[in-house]
Amino acid sequence: MKNSLREVAKAKFGIKKLMGLVILLIVLLLIPRVASNYIVYVMILAMLYAMLTVSYDLLLGYTGQLSFCHGAFYGIGAYTSALLTLKAGLPFWVALPISGMFTFVVGAGVGYPALRLRGAYFAVTTFFFGHLVYLVILNSYKLTGGPLGLRDIPPPEGFLGIDFSSMNSSYYLILVFGILMVVFLYRLVRSGIGRIFIAIREDQDFAEAIGINTAAFKVLSFSISAGLAGLVGSLFAHFFRLLHPSTFAWMTSEMVVIMTLFGGAGTLFGPILGAGIVTFVLEVMRFAPEFRYVIWAIALIVVLVFEPKGLIGIIERIGRLWRKK
Amino acid sequence: MMQTLEVKDLSKEFGGVMAVEGLSFTLEIKAGSRLGIIGPNGAGKTTTFGMISGELKPSSGIVKFAGERIDGFKPHKVCRRGIGRTFQIVRVLPELSVYEHLLTGAIARKFSFGLGVDQQREAERILKLTDLERLKDVVAKNLTTVLKKRLELATVLMTRPKLLLLDELMAGLNLVEIEETLKLLRKINEEMEIALIVVEHVMKAVMELCGRIVVLYYGEKIAEGSPREVANNEKVVEAYLGKEAKNYARS
Repeated sequence: MKNSLREVAKAKFGIKKLMGLVILLIVLLLIPRVASNYIVYVMILAMLYAMLTVSYDLLLGYTGQLSFCHGAFYGIGAYTSALLTLKAGLPFWVALPISGMFTFVVGAGVGYPALRLRGAYFAVTTFFFGHLVYLVILNSYKLTGGPLGLRDIPPPEGFLGIDFSSMNSSYYLILVFGILMVVFLYRLVRSGIGRIFIAIREDQDFAEAIGINTAAFKVLSFSISAGLAGLVGSLFAHFFRLLHPSTFAWMTSEMVVIMTLFGGAGTLFGPILGAGIVTFVLEVMRFAPEFRYVIWAIALIVVLVFEPKGLIGIIERIGRLWRKK
Repeated sequence: MMQTLEVKDLSKEFGGVMAVEGLSFTLEIKAGSRLGIIGPNGAGKTTTFGMISGELKPSSGIVKFAGERIDGFKPHKVCRRGIGRTFQIVRVLPELSVYEHLLTGAIARKFSFGLGVDQQREAERILKLTDLERLKDVVAKNLTTVLKKRLELATVLMTRPKLLLLDELMAGLNLVEIEETLKLLRKINEEMEIALIVVEHVMKAVMELCGRIVVLYYGEKIAEGSPREVANNEKVVEAYLGKEAKNYARS
């Protein structure tokens, strides 16, 4: 009896969740119709950050590996895509998958040796890799333009009469990619691969002892996460049409970690929420450019001290209290 | 052909200290094959398990399983050859439910994207065997140590081992729980035909469970035989109680 009651509650919650998602989708679809260009621009930034963060959640939240170089993969994807269109003259729709695949391969190349290390040692190694990528981009004048960056990156080629150089169509393009990425990750973490990632997160030695090739699956998680970041980088490059190395400096990697923890690692939805809120608040606080990072640091500490699961944990807690009433 | 585990001249050195030295024994993989490894603290029991399961690389010596040399293999490869193990300090996946543990075990053995009916049925069967059915949805971190140990064993069983290495499964259990665990282990050995090697400090349990016992003392094998033989062996009594105590007992 108790069991069946629980199942009914679960099913109800499922419907509620679904309705929430539908409402969210409708709101997202309507935003460009009602909001100003500036709001749409901030929304695009938020979505790009959300995609970057949710792809990082696969590594930190589901596989339990803390890295500090997600921004570097974002940058590799952005520059690869920009250079492929600018110098090789490839269309965006070809450059996008190539930059994703290239970043995946770089991820595997870095992950294979780095993931032999565990915990803090791995984290520090990735931090220096991230910085190395930044320095390479900054100093390869001929290829990347160095500190001057790359300009005049073409917008995605339009089709069916859609012109992707406008703000609104960029918004919808990125929204579609965002939904695809979230659905892909949602399916992935609930598949057999996801189960294996979670087992590694929970106890690597035990996972190894029950026959899981932890080394290979950790590299897989790292590379998928990197490859997705590369795709987001490509989207960013062709939306912004201007690249500067500082966008991919260590601060970006750090922000991705902060957004993930702030929203709630290992939940997919949490990091999206975290990225959205952080982007908007940073935008609102533009009047105090340095001070806002101080506030973020404090906010992160406060959230994590009270609820290690981040915003999602707080929401769940409120939900439980509400249901008790 | 009868499958066997063959350990030959196995040694492990940790910075000049011989944790295990020249250890040899064999065990046939069949019903009724139950080997106990006993010895005082620091005798090299867990080190031996580490070398068989691939966690540690032997300094010298050979481990052969079903005719294949497996020493130096990575742990996941050893597991895939059919040797399962539990840990001295219990290991589970804290945030996962009991049922999810078993499904993870099934996927670890044979990778698949989704979960088949077969895997779910096998999980139900192991749940019933280990008497964890009613705890199916409990998250592992909320279990007591005793139940965690049983869950660890259940998860390892999902990988369909031919040989199980059990490191102090009975530590911290009360008499009733020890009886239950002994019954379970006999069942696993006799019905599933999984050979067992147990490292154990609870003498009563080892003596009752194992047909043969290997005694380690400072990394060396000092005795091997039936429980009765081992219990009456002078060297063994000396190792456990010390020379003076033995003399004292005599006088």
